[in-house]
Amino acid sequence: MEGLNLIATALAIGLAAIGPGIGIGIIVAGALQAMGRNPEMENTLITYMFIGIAFTEALAIFGLVISFMIAFGVIQ
Amino acid sequence: MEALGINLNLFLAQLINFGVIVGLLWVLLYKPVQKILNERTARIEASLREADQVRQQLASAKRDYDAEIAKARKEAAEIVAQAQERARAQEAEIIKQARSEADRIREEARAQAEQERSQMLREAKDEIAELVTLTATRVLNAELKATGHDKLIEESLAALGRQN
Amino acid sequence: MSGRMRFLVIAIVLLAVAVASRFFLFSGDPHVEVAAEKLFSIGGFKVTNALFTALVVDIILVVLAWLATRNMQLVPRGLQNVLEIILEALYNLLKNISPKFIDRAWPLVATIFLFVLTANWLGLVPGATSLGPCMAKEHKETARLALVEEGPKAGSIALIPAAAEKHNPYTTCPEGTSLIPWLRPPSTDLNFTFALGLLSFVFFTYWGFRNLGFGGYLSKFFNLNGIMSFVGIIEFISELIKPVALALRLFGNIFAGEVLIAVLTFLVPLVLPMPIYGFELFVGFIQALVFALLTMAFLSIATSGHGDEHHGGEGAHGADASKAH
Repeated sequence: MEGLNLIATALAIGLAAIGPGIGIGIIVAGALQAMGRNPEMENTLITYMFIGIAFTEALAIFGLVISFMIAFGVIQ
Repeated sequence: MEALGINLNLFLAQLINFGVIVGLLWVLLYKPVQKILNERTARIEASLREADQVRQQLASAKRDYDAEIAKARKEAAEIVAQAQERARAQEAEIIKQARSEADRIREEARAQAEQERSQMLREAKDEIAELVTLTATRVLNAELKATGHDKLIEESLAALGRQN
Repeated sequence: MSGRMRFLVIAIVLLAVAVASRFFLFSGDPHVEVAAEKLFSIGGFKVTNALFTALVVDIILVVLAWLATRNMQLVPRGLQNVLEIILEALYNLLKNISPKFIDRAWPLVATIFLFVLTANWLGLVPGATSLGPCMAKEHKETARLALVEEGPKAGSIALIPAAAEKHNPYTTCPEGTSLIPWLRPPSTDLNFTFALGLLSFVFFTYWGFRNLGFGGYLSKFFNLNGIMSFVGIIEFISELIKPVALALRLFGNIFAGEVLIAVLTFLVPLVLPMPIYGFELFVGFIQALVFALLTMAFLSIATSGHGDEHHGGEGAHGADASKAH
């Protein structure tokens, strides 16, 4: 049971990090391209970039919270 | 839920606490900051308006000054032109005077020279006459008698005067 | 000595210090607890360290605000200048997202930013999470992070079942008790983050109803026009997820940071946690900003009409909505 918990903990955060990792990469790439094309929009773009990153990152954070819950015995 | 630490009392306490701090900061921070920012905006706008006015005043003063300067320059130019005119007139006057003076001096000189020449001629004539008379007297003394000779001399002299 | 040599020497010294600290500096078990711990109780109401810290943050903010505004000058200097710069920059940033609602939302979103930022950074003050009273252990959890004393993994850190747990010789607390830190950032307490998420949700839903009318706002989610009715249901679910996502995002980021620092400090006390501290300062700032930005973006989405509602993701919505104004 102990070992299964550890595996579940690792899988929860590990799998949850894949999608958001790719997603944040795409967001930042797009934002940088846009900034390169018109640098005068930089401030607005950075704001929206962070909003987008926050949405995407939330998924990884859900996974992280689940993994904490498993690790500390909140859900068994 | 218990293991996550979620507890209705604590939840409500945090909610109330946050509500209170929103109110406190609103009164203590946001309102005064907003007020001072508005004041500063008003102040800056007023200052800009004032600066604009001052700039306009300055521009008009500059215009007046430029006009004054231009006027003064024109007057000075006029004065100089007048002075030049007057100087030119004086110059012409002086030259004219000098020329007439020179003419006069030349005239006088010529007249004097003329006079001296005529006098000299006269004197020379007299001298010549005398010499001729003397010579003639000496020549004739031997052959001619003194009578009737004076008439001949006078005729010779008159002929001389006519020739000259 | 050339620059490259100097760099190499510094790197080697740092590495040596890190390795030495691993073997000569010992600390108690890393303090990792999902729930905020009880510090004391007032008339049956238990005050947790997260709630206590929230009060400390209140005091810090109020004192700062009082100091900054007690003698306001038209030409700002010192603290007044600093706070004015922060507030003005935040105001302009948020105005970008929803120029129409910024003045209504300003007290809430500005307080969210200031409070969460102060809370996040308070957890990074050295000693903040490691000083406190020793309290009797409440063995609710089945396992906790602790030092492994015996066996092949001795000296490392592992999840040890509560029953098998031994007393760590390096903690200053007597056996049977554990250290409860005085300060714990409220952002690492789910009560606080859910309270904040709920407040934000109520706020933007209220303005959605107020702006679009009761029927108008509900028709964004419940309508009978073909495929849109299905999309509306999905929108409704994602609307309900919003406060949960807000709460868990803040909690997860800050709590993970605290755990990371605690574990790293336990494993390699010197050098290694230093860059992590810098990164956590950045994360603390970004999360505070993101909470305020998202509240503003959700407000902008909730108050925008039916037309620009059904295309693009959530982030794109924020952009669309702010351009529409």
